[in-house]
Amino acid sequence: MTAQPDVDKLIRQTRQYEFSDGLRDLQLAVLLGLSGVAAWLSLEPGWLTFVATVAKTFGRWAAWISMLPLVVAVGAVWAMLWLMGFVRRRWLWRESGMVKSSRIVVPRGVNVLSAVIMVGGIVVGLGLRIVRWVDDAFVLRMLWAATGWGFGYTLIGTGRHLGLTRYVWLGAVGGIASTAMLFLTLNFGQVALAFGVGWSILLGVSGAIALRRALRSAPARD
Amino acid sequence: MSDEIKDIASFDRLIHEPARLAIMAILSACESADFTYLLNATGLSKGNLSAHLSKLEECGYVGIAKSFKGKYPNTTCVLTPAGRRAFVAYRKQYLALARHLEK
Repeated sequence: MTAQPDVDKLIRQTRQYEFSDGLRDLQLAVLLGLSGVAAWLSLEPGWLTFVATVAKTFGRWAAWISMLPLVVAVGAVWAMLWLMGFVRRRWLWRESGMVKSSRIVVPRGVNVLSAVIMVGGIVVGLGLRIVRWVDDAFVLRMLWAATGWGFGYTLIGTGRHLGLTRYVWLGAVGGIASTAMLFLTLNFGQVALAFGVGWSILLGVSGAIALRRALRSAPARD
Repeated sequence: MSDEIKDIASFDRLIHEPARLAIMAILSACESADFTYLLNATGLSKGNLSAHLSKLEECGYVGIAKSFKGKYPNTTCVLTPAGRRAFVAYRKQYLALARHLEK
């Protein structure tokens, strides 16, 4: 090597490596999907009745079953992390090498602006409630819509920082679609489910497309 | 001696060498990378990469951990805090000079 390397390109390529196979998208899809289900179940009268019945039949300790959705969600994320490592070691990164990505991927400015968007949305919702233009349910729905806007912006900022157009589109589509949460005539738990499942589908599709592409270009296992 | 020449002369020669600059750039963008990744990303030969890594390790810019994954040896490289500081300082100096020369 005699000419000066393109340092920016090398840095960008290495940062993108972690996200190029779509497994991160799939992990986020599992996390958001199961979190949505857990939030919905914890507020669902049918589930609460079931937990009460179990506690009545088997004793108070059995009420711990109410934690089951949360345990499943956390367990699934851990399992997904293990699976990601396994698939990469065995197929995807076998020839191209292993990289452990930096702990901080999202730039601080993006995180701050994302939090501002989220809090701003909630403040607007509360303001509208104070002047009585909306009801209490709207404020609760705004919580999810604002979370969607904030998360969408995080994806856009990350995509721009890493040079991944897929994330810019994903963030824009998801962020705009999160506005629909405001107009759904659902209760808080159901909106949580819609939010989790909606984002999970978006991230799942994005991850599946990227993974398919990565698997096609990965060398076959001996 | 003009300011530009003084600036160039004060560059960290260890990092300024193209192959080592490529290695430092890659390691600055992640927590760690293995030998295979560095080999593919830099396009260097195994011997060349190994020699440059040893040099960077000697001066404390890169940490190298050798282990086995099954039957195969595995070399993982990380940028040390001193290496990260040196790379950031080099980039700052390089970009400042580039901007100055563009004027």
